Amino acid sequence: MSMGVLIALFFTGLRYWLADASITMNWWKWLILSAWFLFLAITVAAAFTLMGEGEWTAGKRFLLFFGIVLLLAGSGIWKLLKKV
Amino acid sequence: MHRRDFLKFTGLASGTLVLGGAAAAGYMSGADKTGNTGWGRAPYAKDQFFNRKPFFVTTPTYEKVGTPQRIQYLDNLFRRNGELGMHIRSLGEGGLESVKGEGISSLPQELKAYYTEHPSAFEEFFLTRESAKQQRERWPEHRNQYLLAEAWSKAHASPLKGREAYPPQPQGPPEEWDFEGVNPDPLKLKSPQHGSELIKKITHTFGATLVGVTAIKEEWVYQGILRGVGKTNFAKPAHWKNAIVFAIPHEWESFYANPTYGTSYEAYTMLRFIAGKLETFIREIGFSSRSHVPPNSYDLIIPPLAIDAGLGEQGRHGVVITPELGANTRLAAVSTDMPLEPDKPVDLGIMKFCNKCKICAEECPSGAISFDDKPTKVVRGYRRWCTDQDKCFKAWNQVATSSARGCRVCLAVCPYSRKNNWIHTFARELDPRDPTGFTASTMLAMQKQFFDYPGGSQYLPPPDGNNKTYGKAPDWLRTEEWFDF
Repeated sequence: MSMGVLIALFFTGLRYWLADASITMNWWKWLILSAWFLFLAITVAAAFTLMGEGEWTAGKRFLLFFGIVLLLAGSGIWKLLKKV
Repeated sequence: MHRRDFLKFTGLASGTLVLGGAAAAGYMSGADKTGNTGWGRAPYAKDQFFNRKPFFVTTPTYEKVGTPQRIQYLDNLFRRNGELGMHIRSLGEGGLESVKGEGISSLPQELKAYYTEHPSAFEEFFLTRESAKQQRERWPEHRNQYLLAEAWSKAHASPLKGREAYPPQPQGPPEEWDFEGVNPDPLKLKSPQHGSELIKKITHTFGATLVGVTAIKEEWVYQGILRGVGKTNFAKPAHWKNAIVFAIPHEWESFYANPTYGTSYEAYTMLRFIAGKLETFIREIGFSSRSHVPPNSYDLIIPPLAIDAGLGEQGRHGVVITPELGANTRLAAVSTDMPLEPDKPVDLGIMKFCNKCKICAEECPSGAISFDDKPTKVVRGYRRWCTDQDKCFKAWNQVATSSARGCRVCLAVCPYSRKNNWIHTFARELDPRDPTGFTASTMLAMQKQFFDYPGGSQYLPPPDGNNKTYGKAPDWLRTEEWFDF
């Protein structure tokens, strides 16, 4: 439940950050942004699951690889949100 | 601070906490011992099992290419080495050198026939004997470091010693031994379906993680030797109708620390207890039964029976890979005339994955595992990958243990040998449902790029290697954590 509250607070705050950046949001933009955040959370969880198993190197490499992928995707999404 | 700014920074902090929560939840999931399938809080609860139903097939995934033949007992490395060892001992002092010098032609008829067909196995026998000697000589150097691992292995091996080992070895022909103590007034079983369901539930209560049922094919019965009778050529006894095949994993933490910290005996003795109890249970309800248990008390070849029973598929390393346990699957069986409904074999894409993977072959310290892109060798009427038993056994005699008690590196490094947590469950559910093979290729690429593998010879002691293990040994097997030396 606390995770649900945190997610709700995150999206509430995000709404103001986006508005201050002069980005107008619609349903598909929210969908893309939510999906990106979901993948980020899953990547973090997966990497730390591997670390919890004792596979520290695999966890770190996983986080690094998908972290970079998500960073690049995030920057693309940010440009898209601003442009459209 | 304005309300708007407050909400913005609260949102930012919340997002960070969400990611922190994901990291913490992930870490706990990975570290959680209940992910050690088969040993968790629910030993046979529903969530332990992979749903095989969508993957049932009518014929097993191994390929039949000729007339099946039964396995001759000398095809079994331990029986073969046992026979040759006995012959050498019968010659007295100098027997080893004499047989080595005189070669295959000097051997008794059966051994001569086998080694004439497989001359490299004869050479490997002597190389292995030499390795075993060096292993014994080198052991004092390693004894302190592996004190706990050795003690743990010996503790597990202790129930296997001598005539008192459980379950007792058959004494007499199967037509007598398998019926000893059978309830003379059995009740009528409602149906074979009832029989299978009951036996599976009972076998789980005895400690089995996975249980399957299959009819026994003639070709899965050893030929040339029959426990309780001795050397003989025999037809499959009529009452060996069905096999109950069951599996358990090795203890996971020691398993990842193969070859030096793990042991096969731990799973072997558990399997023997399960088999012995099941044997007794079946006789008590009115049917014949006979255990087939490791390390070498078999009249049946168990892996193909496990495949027939739908537990899994054959892996490149020759070991059955199951979706729940991967290659950490140790098997035993009980044959019976109890009417049982057989399970269906499965096609989970495991063999296809093995075609591409080859990690076990790359990591094998003895180079015994095939690198062939597909199963190519035809063995007794079936096309398969073939592991060189003699080379494999030589590595057992090289690793830093007191004696040859296995290696199991191929099982530990297998990408399927993963714990039962969300990330691996996701992978094992997704992969067999992807007909394109993209999931398998992606996972394999990640496996090879993200995970560290020491590399074949590194598992051996110096000078060939560096006594590496695949994973780190658990603290309870690391002597230095508990003793000064």
